[in-house]
Amino acid sequence: MDETSVVPMTGTADEAIPVPLSERLAPWFFVAPSLILLLAIGLYPVVFTFVISFKYWVMGMGAPEWTGIANYLSALGSSDFSDAVVRTLVLVVISLPVQLVLGLLIALALDSTHIALLRRLLQICLVIPIAITPAVVGLLTALMFNQQLGIVNYLLGRIGIAPVNWLGDTTNAFITVILVQIWEWTPFVALVLSAALATVPKDIEEAAMLETERWWPRFRSVQLPFMWPGITAALVFQTAFTLKEFDMIYSIEKGGPGTATEVAMLQIERLAFRGFDIGVAAAESILMLILSIVLARIYIRLFYREID
Amino acid sequence: MAKQVIFRILHTIGILLILVVILFPLYWMVAASLKTESQIFSIPPVWRFTPHFSAYAQAIRQDDVLGALLNSLIVTVGSVGLGLLVGAPAAYGIARYQFRGRRDVWFWYVTNWMLVPVVVLIPFYLTASRLHLINNLIVLVLVYQVFVVPLVVWLMVDQFRSVPIDLEEAAQLDGLGRFGVFLRICLPLVKPGIAVSAILAGIFAWNDLLYGFILTPGRSVRTAPMIVLTYLGGYIVPWPKVMAGATLVCAPVIIGGIVVHKYIARGLTLGAVK
Amino acid sequence: MKRRVARRAALLHKEEDFRTMRKWGLLAATAVMAMCTHAWAWSLKDAAAPYKGTSITVVGLDRPSYAAAQQLTPEFTKETGIDVNWVTFPYEDSLKEETLNFVSDSQQFDVILSDVVWPVTFVDAGWVLPLQHFLDDKKLADPDVDVKDFFPVWRASFTVDGKLYGLPFDSYAGLLYYNKSMLKAAGFDSPPATWDDLLKTYAPKLTDKGKGVFGYALQSARGETQTADAFARFLWPWGGRFLNIGKKEILVNDAQSQAGIEFRQSLLPYMPPGIVSDDHSQVVEMLMQKRVAMITEWSAFYPTLSKSPIADDLGIAMEPKGPDGTYSAFGGFAYMVSSQVPKAKQDAAWLFVQWLTSKEMAKPLIEHGAVVARQGADEDPSIQAKFPNLAPMVKTWETATVPDWRPQLQCYPRFSDIVSDWGSRIELKQVDVKQGLDSMAKSLTAYMDSSHCWEHTNTPEKYMKQD
Repeated sequence: MDETSVVPMTGTADEAIPVPLSERLAPWFFVAPSLILLLAIGLYPVVFTFVISFKYWVMGMGAPEWTGIANYLSALGSSDFSDAVVRTLVLVVISLPVQLVLGLLIALALDSTHIALLRRLLQICLVIPIAITPAVVGLLTALMFNQQLGIVNYLLGRIGIAPVNWLGDTTNAFITVILVQIWEWTPFVALVLSAALATVPKDIEEAAMLETERWWPRFRSVQLPFMWPGITAALVFQTAFTLKEFDMIYSIEKGGPGTATEVAMLQIERLAFRGFDIGVAAAESILMLILSIVLARIYIRLFYREID
Repeated sequence: MAKQVIFRILHTIGILLILVVILFPLYWMVAASLKTESQIFSIPPVWRFTPHFSAYAQAIRQDDVLGALLNSLIVTVGSVGLGLLVGAPAAYGIARYQFRGRRDVWFWYVTNWMLVPVVVLIPFYLTASRLHLINNLIVLVLVYQVFVVPLVVWLMVDQFRSVPIDLEEAAQLDGLGRFGVFLRICLPLVKPGIAVSAILAGIFAWNDLLYGFILTPGRSVRTAPMIVLTYLGGYIVPWPKVMAGATLVCAPVIIGGIVVHKYIARGLTLGAVK
Repeated sequence: MKRRVARRAALLHKEEDFRTMRKWGLLAATAVMAMCTHAWAWSLKDAAAPYKGTSITVVGLDRPSYAAAQQLTPEFTKETGIDVNWVTFPYEDSLKEETLNFVSDSQQFDVILSDVVWPVTFVDAGWVLPLQHFLDDKKLADPDVDVKDFFPVWRASFTVDGKLYGLPFDSYAGLLYYNKSMLKAAGFDSPPATWDDLLKTYAPKLTDKGKGVFGYALQSARGETQTADAFARFLWPWGGRFLNIGKKEILVNDAQSQAGIEFRQSLLPYMPPGIVSDDHSQVVEMLMQKRVAMITEWSAFYPTLSKSPIADDLGIAMEPKGPDGTYSAFGGFAYMVSSQVPKAKQDAAWLFVQWLTSKEMAKPLIEHGAVVARQGADEDPSIQAKFPNLAPMVKTWETATVPDWRPQLQCYPRFSDIVSDWGSRIELKQVDVKQGLDSMAKSLTAYMDSSHCWEHTNTPEKYMKQD
């Protein structure tokens, strides 16, 4: 990959030639404003939450009191939380690969279509699902997947499939959430991947064309290497989205039926703002944060060498 | 040859199918906003109906959706503007300099992207309330930086890397300072990146609900999605009005998406440029 | 409009009185005038004069009563010069918003909305003011406030430690709504009188699964809907109870409670299959679309149903009777005054609450689609003739429900959450009834004991007997 011409201007100067102070500080001059802003807005709340996670604090029932690691024990000991985390991970594990595969197919279809109008239309339409407010997506789901009065069951009925109890059955409700998530986010993945596909240099592609007619080897040896960074980025992006997913699932049926679609965020929100048990909710938030950082680290270690 | 024709036909059908799947829910939303309550739920569905625009009139008159759209616009433009203002230089710094802690700085941005909103919400609320910033749109502009800045940095690092280094060196030889190079040479070249990060960050800011409900619940400072989703209570959902509101809320974002779509191929290259 | 005319008529009447009085001689007239001054000295306008230009914020919900109140609010502002800002939340978010407001002392809201299950939470934390404070203030209290005109069950609900904290607004009783033609077609001239009839006689004849038509639907979505609508509704009529506060005992798994919940499960075959995920709006929609014949819903849904395609077929009755009597669902709200805001705002807030819940406003509110707990208005035959939901609602409040139909606990939100959690699991048949109720009882007991919640409770039914 080093054949590309981009070499950092101060390059490896760090070790060899002494760099003047002004040059050393230059990067910080660019980075500092955003760092300070994020320290105030991003780090402060995390520290606050971390502190609260060691306190017993039920809003409205007196001031916070130190309680040690009791909140963490109660979070880890509650099946509510562990079930919700498992549900979240299942969602990640099922929905992400599907999004990637479908996204890749759409990106390839977009890349190879010969009808310019269709290409533009598809490109525009891929923006639409992420543009619709997630909570509205949830409401629309509730409307369209309603067993008695929804359009989905009606259309299925037209092709001879008996009405499905989408939202009232625990397994089906979870499937519905996965389907909707795939609908909502696959187009975005497709956009990322089609942007990655566009970075494949035309000459390399043409050379490969001459070499073999078959699609798979060309894809694997020419296109795929250029797409890895995009795939990783999409993974990190989508993992974060899935871990943070709230509005859409909440507005379908608040995590129901029962707790069938209650993912981690919903469970924490329920604890914090319906039970007002802020201490335990804070402990759970910290655990979730650790989980997501670990996941991000793993992805980046595995696929993302971009920043070395 | 025949094989290729069949392939093309299937290919086109595939794309059309994708379009239908993507667009149908959108159509259903818009159609619902033009139907009457009972038409929305009638099975078999009503495909041909006289559109009623009264739901829009209601949404605008009763709930002041237009005022809320203006609030949303202020917040979105404000937070995207601020995010670009601090995020673009940061991305440039990361893209162009080798410095100790660079990797950690980069990772710190990604970490913020991972932050679950509940973590941010309570501390932010308590602080904002102490500073008397509840019901002030500025507070949303600030809190959205939690996801706007990481997104901008993430997308833009790559964009800056794709700017040929010779260009910058030449400009430096012409006597432009580091900041001058960044401002005059690089920024104009990464327009697609700016456009794409602006639209993406804008979408997330525009669609936020969780922060809005907590930090700016006042009637005059509500953002557009909040108005539509006041009905989430599940008590009575005035579907035509909700769908009309939802359509109004989504329309600007979709238009924005259409405007920048041609940049997407060049602006969304996450980590693709080495 | 009518109201204004009436008021003017009253004034004219008084003026005439004066003219007659003059003939009686100066002395007598002065004496009478002094009395008159005393009797009708109070006017909202005068009382509000010191607060002109004050602005207050009122918490509301997106429900018909608040829409009605918002429509009428300009009259208050016109009369008083007090600006009223409404903020509206989904019900599920309202407690969160108010709690955050109080905990952070951010003084966003002056007029506080309290669900019937929240008073003890707000009062124990010291967030709201006892209303006696205002009622004793001759300048602020309308002599015609007539607190006794609120139904006793409603006054009791918002009384904590013997003190009244809220004036009821948006008040509901659970009612049976049914489709008269569907019942008639199945051979019934009247709605079921007992739950047993509903299950054994009515539901089987009204259910036609092939056509997707069901006898009954019970809103069971998770959250407060599951706890209040789908669970509590089947405890009380079978003699079941949530708890015994005096004995610090959880009773959701005793024999009576279990019988009630078993009964609920036996209704499932006559309900639409997705019912566990359905909330109020879906159930009401199914009744309107003739997919179900009967629902049990809040009295506040009448305005919605009366404008639907089945308006002419709509029947309304009290909820059916259980083996232990009729205990219909009880729910609704009251307005309170925040203790955290400056005094001027508190006074202005009180004036607003007093005005909104006044006898005078009751009828205009009902006409605009609200439900109120004013005996005078709700029992008025001319109003009842127009709103058929009122008669069964009044009867329910007077004879067929209790103020602590859901317990008043400071930790109610979490309590309700646990009930909703296990209630849904039982309804989904993930656990059998006995097992689920035992688990629910175990969680509730553990939670009540560990959070010291037993010490922060209110038993409002004792205030019913006081007057």
